[in-house]
Amino acid sequence: MKKHSIATALVATAALCGAGAAHAQAAGDVMVKLGWNKIMPKVRSTELSAPSLPGSTIDIKSASALFFTAAYMVTDNASVEFLGGLPYKHDIIGTGSVQGVGKIGSIHQISPTLLMQYRFLSPDSPFRPRIGVGPTFAWFYGSKGSAALTAVTNPGGPPTTIGGDTELGATTELGASFKINKHWFVDAAVLKTFINTEAKLSTGQRTRARLNPVAVNASIGYTF
Amino acid sequence: MKKFHVLTTALAAAVFLAGCGGNEAGNQKPRVAFTSMVSFGDSLSDVGSYAVGAVAAQGGGHYSINGIGATGLLWTNWTEFLSATLDLAAPCAAETGLNTIQAVVGAPPVPATFHDASTGGTCTNYAQGGARVTNPVGPGNALLFNASVPSTYSNAIGQLTVPVQTQIANYLAHNGGKFTSDQLVTVFAGGNDIFINVATFQATVGAGGDPTAAATAAVTAMAQAGTEEAGYINAQILANGATHVVVVNLPDVSLTPFAIGSGASGQALVKSMTQAFNSALQGNLTASANLVFVDAFAASEDQATHMAQYGLDNVTTPTCTSSSSLVCTKNTLIGAVAPAASGAAATAANTYEYADSVHPTPYGYRLLAELVSEQLAIKGWL
Repeated sequence: MKKHSIATALVATAALCGAGAAHAQAAGDVMVKLGWNKIMPKVRSTELSAPSLPGSTIDIKSASALFFTAAYMVTDNASVEFLGGLPYKHDIIGTGSVQGVGKIGSIHQISPTLLMQYRFLSPDSPFRPRIGVGPTFAWFYGSKGSAALTAVTNPGGPPTTIGGDTELGATTELGASFKINKHWFVDAAVLKTFINTEAKLSTGQRTRARLNPVAVNASIGYTF
Repeated sequence: MKKFHVLTTALAAAVFLAGCGGNEAGNQKPRVAFTSMVSFGDSLSDVGSYAVGAVAAQGGGHYSINGIGATGLLWTNWTEFLSATLDLAAPCAAETGLNTIQAVVGAPPVPATFHDASTGGTCTNYAQGGARVTNPVGPGNALLFNASVPSTYSNAIGQLTVPVQTQIANYLAHNGGKFTSDQLVTVFAGGNDIFINVATFQATVGAGGDPTAAATAAVTAMAQAGTEEAGYINAQILANGATHVVVVNLPDVSLTPFAIGSGASGQALVKSMTQAFNSALQGNLTASANLVFVDAFAASEDQATHMAQYGLDNVTTPTCTSSSSLVCTKNTLIGAVAPAASGAAATAANTYEYADSVHPTPYGYRLLAELVSEQLAIKGWL
């Protein structure tokens, strides 16, 4: 019952702040959040296509950035939430037969997501756990190559660049918010996104990567 | 709803910001700032030791398909691909010359001349076609010419064949006896010891000698050559201040058109000789953090078995019509890979591994450069 005691503590805090319970997450409410999100891709990539050293695969490292959301309570329990934020910059490292070459590049992405959520408990409950599901649109751009990438794909030639696709994926969410006072609340969520992408090198090789990232975030929210 | 407008604006701004920035090259500088590359070896690293006299007249000098852009690639030899990758000037031959036998070839000899520090030059590629590890007489040396034996006539071209041992000694003599920490030193040799010892084996067996004993002698000689090369690297290169040394072992010579042409038993012998050389080389090298050992043997076998993955269609047919690729150009290619039109690049040759019976096409060399680059990147030098 640990969560309950945390909730109790938060309720106590809320009480100390002198907040009323008039406004909560009830039908018609609009909430915004601002916080920090960490995206941890769980990459499984296919071998880089020919011509390349057999077994060349990639891993994409975690990245964090500021994120914000806007939610609308359709009913007392159902809500729609848009997740946006600043771009994430992921390092790309070589794995498989190129294990050890280290960072071969980096790529930026933004992945706006629209979640249909169900919030448990009553609208005026200080603790509102929720589940959500919805589409994620991932946009990969602004990549950077490296001397090592060029060297193993086109030695002595012009620099090799990395292109990413835009991809549609699906995201599921487990989250909860804790009311601090009439307007303010804190929020935390874990999201799992199911998404693939294809990295294309300017030298013609491609690799399909299953990214399926797990994201964790914490934020502060405000209810209008 | 003013606050809502602020939020909308912020979202729009974030998306807009995200849209900035295309796909960039990123930092193309290697992690180690090399200032020069010093190469020792044979034809596989030679960038023009014999690009003079009779060879230059035919547009030759590289042991591949000669001519910048002949197949549409930017470079020809792996040392050229690699030096460009390391942001260095193109390598040039530290010593040039030809001991051409004029009576046979019709062109005069060209005196051996250094273009390295000893003459105020900047060339540091000492690798020479025909060079062996220790023995000063390798394939193409005029001393192997015998007027009564037609099969020796190709030696009339008179390659200098300065062996690796002497190449290193020449470098040291001309550069104060030291290597420096901002040099990449490459050593890649052994092939000519294979060819000479195969010739000796054939001569012995042809004269009625015991094939088993002759084969054993050939394998033993290769182990000796490998041990000697390791010794020069240990005592002359690593011990004289080199901190970035690349040693490439012999590719599987039994997979070359040269060996395939000698039949299954010939291939087996050549493979044993190659392995004897490689294991002696690797086994006798001093363990050192300043050394990268590149396994070209394994890579060559992998290229032959997974051709498509390397972009290859043919790993057994030479693209050149000339017996030696030293004078091969895009105008002397087999029909299958000849340029589509006059003036066009012979791009089809980029699907072939071999230019002649033992030397790679420019694409084959590029694959070797990729392999070496990969190892340098893993080592943290690139």
